[in-house]
Amino acid sequence: MLDRLESLEGMMHNMDKKKLLNKLDYYRIYIIFAIVFILMSLFAPNFLNVFNIVNILKGMSLNAMVAVGFTVVMICGQLDLSIGSNLTLGAMVVIALQPILGWWPSLAVAMIAGSFVGAVNGFLVAKAKIHSFIVTLGTMTIVQGLIFLLSKGSALSVNDFTLADWLEMPKFGFLPPRVIITVSIVLMFFVLIKFTKFGKGFYLVGGNKETAWLAGLNTDLYLILAFILSGLTAALGGALLAMSISSAVPTLGTSSQMVVIAAVIIGGTSMAGGTGDIFRSMIAVIMLVTLFNGLMCCGAGYEVQIFASGLVLAAVVLGESYALYQQDKVKGQRPNLMAELKKGALQ
Amino acid sequence: METSMQANKEKIDVRKREVGKISSIINKLGVYVLVIALMILGTIISPKFLTASNFMNIIQAVSLLGMVAAGVSFITYSGNFVDMSIPCIMAFSGMIAVDTLRYGIVVSIVCGLLTGSAIGLINGIVVGKLKANPIIWTLSVAFVGNGFMRWFYSGKQIYPDVKGGAAADVFINLSRTDVFGRIPLIVIVMITFMVLGQFVMTKTKFGKQVKLIGSSYEVAKMTGINVNKVVCGAFILSALATSIAGIFLTSLAKTGAFYNGEGYDFNAVTAIVIGGMTLNGGRGDVVGVLGGVLVIGLLSNVMTLIGINTFSQSIVKGIIFIAVVGINARSLRKLGRDDA
Amino acid sequence: MDGKEILSLDMRGVSKQFPGTLAVDSVDFQVRPGEVHALLGENGAGKSTLMKMIAGSFSDYTGDIYIMGEKVELNSPAAAKAKGVGMVYQELSLAMPLTIAENVLAGRIPTKGKIFADKKAMKDQTIECLKRVGLGHLDPFACIKEISQQEAQLVEIAKTLGNNPSILVMDEPTSSLSREEVKLLFGIIDNLKKQGLAIIYISHHLPELFEVADRITIMRDGKKIGTYNIDEVTTKSLVEMMVGRPVDDTAVEVQNKVFGEEKLRVEHLTRHGFFHDISFNVRANEVLGIGGLSGAGRSELARGIVGADAINSGKIYIKGKETKIRSMSEALANGIAYLTENRKTQGLALRISIGENILSPLLKKHTKNGIYSAKRGESDVLAVMKELQVYPPDPTVTVGNLSGGNQQKVLLGKWVATKPQVLILDEPTRGVDVGAKMVIHDTIRRLAGEGNAVIVISSDLPELVALSDRVKIMKEGKFIGELIKGDLSEESVLLAANGEGDKLSGNIYAS
Repeated sequence: MLDRLESLEGMMHNMDKKKLLNKLDYYRIYIIFAIVFILMSLFAPNFLNVFNIVNILKGMSLNAMVAVGFTVVMICGQLDLSIGSNLTLGAMVVIALQPILGWWPSLAVAMIAGSFVGAVNGFLVAKAKIHSFIVTLGTMTIVQGLIFLLSKGSALSVNDFTLADWLEMPKFGFLPPRVIITVSIVLMFFVLIKFTKFGKGFYLVGGNKETAWLAGLNTDLYLILAFILSGLTAALGGALLAMSISSAVPTLGTSSQMVVIAAVIIGGTSMAGGTGDIFRSMIAVIMLVTLFNGLMCCGAGYEVQIFASGLVLAAVVLGESYALYQQDKVKGQRPNLMAELKKGALQ
Repeated sequence: METSMQANKEKIDVRKREVGKISSIINKLGVYVLVIALMILGTIISPKFLTASNFMNIIQAVSLLGMVAAGVSFITYSGNFVDMSIPCIMAFSGMIAVDTLRYGIVVSIVCGLLTGSAIGLINGIVVGKLKANPIIWTLSVAFVGNGFMRWFYSGKQIYPDVKGGAAADVFINLSRTDVFGRIPLIVIVMITFMVLGQFVMTKTKFGKQVKLIGSSYEVAKMTGINVNKVVCGAFILSALATSIAGIFLTSLAKTGAFYNGEGYDFNAVTAIVIGGMTLNGGRGDVVGVLGGVLVIGLLSNVMTLIGINTFSQSIVKGIIFIAVVGINARSLRKLGRDDA
Repeated sequence: MDGKEILSLDMRGVSKQFPGTLAVDSVDFQVRPGEVHALLGENGAGKSTLMKMIAGSFSDYTGDIYIMGEKVELNSPAAAKAKGVGMVYQELSLAMPLTIAENVLAGRIPTKGKIFADKKAMKDQTIECLKRVGLGHLDPFACIKEISQQEAQLVEIAKTLGNNPSILVMDEPTSSLSREEVKLLFGIIDNLKKQGLAIIYISHHLPELFEVADRITIMRDGKKIGTYNIDEVTTKSLVEMMVGRPVDDTAVEVQNKVFGEEKLRVEHLTRHGFFHDISFNVRANEVLGIGGLSGAGRSELARGIVGADAINSGKIYIKGKETKIRSMSEALANGIAYLTENRKTQGLALRISIGENILSPLLKKHTKNGIYSAKRGESDVLAVMKELQVYPPDPTVTVGNLSGGNQQKVLLGKWVATKPQVLILDEPTRGVDVGAKMVIHDTIRRLAGEGNAVIVISSDLPELVALSDRVKIMKEGKFIGELIKGDLSEESVLLAANGEGDKLSGNIYAS
């Protein structure tokens, strides 16, 4: 009887530890963010003031939006390398068409263009069953080529700054509309993906495609939708940025792509699929921008910012792999034997 | 009863073998069909195409890519997709080589190669032993390495003729040397890598071990293969080839810079995958990869002869890339193997 | 049969054509409400295809299917589910990173206002489902990867039951369950029967069928051989119908076997938390069985011996000489081979050929002057394939294209080709048809007869009893006893494995 109780206790202990680790993993991005924020508040001059915080929020707007779709694609266990060029596509289309169509129709065209690229990606992954790494690598090249072809490699701009001024002008005290729009859209998709019956389908498809199919889900449709969403939010993010500065360059997306991929991974979305969420991706984007901004306040250049964010990413990936490696080692350990071992050690 | 059972089973097998034959011929020749098609196209389009000098140009243009692809194909073969830190390794080894030129050319090259191999070793340990996702991890390494170079050199380029003194000329001429009078050294090195790569992959214990790991990691482990060591070996081999290409590239550009090697990661994947390797590993060989490299070279040569600009060229390349992989995937699926 | 009786499932003349083969050939199959109907056949007999047809995996079958007297088209899993078909798959079909609730309620998550997932309803419904399989205590929002494999297997069953099926298909549901859990499962099945569910039960485990089934249908080569009440058949008649010829069951008992020198001795081997203080020896010509319930730590012990996992303490002696084994390759170099339990994930690389698989542990041997040549091993490969009657007899065929039984033969051949002195076999015939099983057993006996030592780990009691000269019983990571040849029977091993060895009055010896 006593043995039984003890083994039960051991099992509980083991369960708790596992759960604790999972919880810690879930909340790690908040912890990292808190650490970065506190460190910067303490040590970076001119960091902790409203003006600078608004700067950070403005800085995260583009990448937070792009991260929405990329997170969903990763939840489905896929990869989208075309987000960078989709983002540029959105920005270039909106600026190129503005003189002809005006802002809102050209924004609509930009969003359709992004969704179309996403749909092509999704179709090739789901129906032609080609690895998403290859498909999106191909479409990345194609879209990049198209952008350069149409723009002849030069930057585009419009002379109308009224919308740009409105988007950047603080409302409600200090928040500019661009930030408000971005955060609202991100939160909307966060709720849609995480808390609705429809959204939970993405997790099931990523967690186990076979299971999802057997449960009666149209898995191909889910995959295609994920890529469409990725194309859409990337183009939308790019377009919003372009609208707020009334110009766009054909190389806009290159640096953004790396930051988004890094942020989504640091935010806890795994390429294995089935885990992660959009909100944590956004927090990760904010964390990276805070890191950039804080380092800048300290007088460090762009080089240091890249280096530091790379180190954070590498540390997270390394930590995650090491934790899994350690977990694997003790997987299936018998609590009653461990308890016995402990007792023996105590004697 | 027995006989009917046998007959039934035989029916299945005959069919499987027939499909297998046709598909495997397509699979084997696949990329060279494309090579030949492009050559015919080129001959029709321009009389300048079918000349020795044009051919040498084509091969010279892709020889650095060929070196990289020959090395990286071992990573793909082992089922670890690709090394996304290729550009970082190329730039880093090049910059270190330039930075150490003042100690002489030999030290410079050795230091460059050691730098590259060290990055390969780190990748190998993290991916091989800790089983991190290879794409994600090597991307992180690229991020860190790129940041480090920019930080260390304050975002500046470094020049061999400024740093190197006497050795600088030797360094700069590395990529400009011709052997046997007319064949560039880089072409010789590339072909040597291809031949060596094919030999190691198909004729040695190491190659067979990589294949088994690529086919099934767990099985390889439970068959007594030291998977950590072999995967590490594949990454180091790849990094070594990549850093040699990086040193040549730096010599060619006469500049060491953090952005050297950009695009080589994606081009190498393109060549490897067009060449018939699958990202799941254990399939294809270096001869196919050579075909993939040739396709890339021929494609841009032919398109340039037609007069297609670089931007449109990248569109065509992207489409051909997806189409070829799609066709390969289809024929593999017909064989009943879902490893496309 | 009463013509007016409404059948739960009535399949009339159903066929399913795969390219080049007729997997199911105009089969009639009826299941009554409230019965457990076992479906039996060798691998490749068509029973899996028939079951997949019921579960809606194919859209192009021919023939008619009636459920509760109504003609139905089962063209998709969703359609089958809507008609009340529930399927428990042999291999877990759960999404590991997701929670229990999300898995159990996959595709039918309760909602508030038709959009948002209703967390409270999810919790309640999940707990209700889990209670039916005796897992009411689990947290519905724990991830699948946080629970044990046995629990996951039961969650899978709970998930299927949650859809309130009227026909329940179970494909080898007990393959990873312990004896207690099997008892629990049979209790659940009994309960479901009383509720009028029709249960179709597939298993290779014949004694289990006699315990649980009411009727049995036997299939061979895609055709139905017959349907019988359980009391009309015996194990022997079932086997004969499955293989299609009379079975000679007078297996030759090798009497007075003489054992040779000690090949392997293990002393106080311990891996913390997995197995503690294990000691045993095995001699030339001897087959040592290791029995026990699944999850008793037997595979972990084997992995510890061959160096796949690091041990914490204890000594290993090979031919009386203390030897440190730190990796699989060192084990192989010392003449120890280990046939893993899971052929598809750990045993064979399915994408490469038979020959390449068989030669995979011999890469070093066939490398000379740095050059590897498969030609040097060709004769070994052919010899092994011939002995084990691998079909097709062509070493270039991809292993993934072989039937389960032939795959298992290749797996055994891979280790036999290394000419091991000590061969450790972990579930050597799991999920294998009767014919292949006989061939594998013959090979094991031959190996042991030629002066080698063999260790057999098996949950298949008849197999363990038939092969072993001695059986060590393992429970919760420890050896709890030993049975020798004269005392070996299925009952004695089972009792001992359940920790009830004391009931065997004097037949069990402390080890």
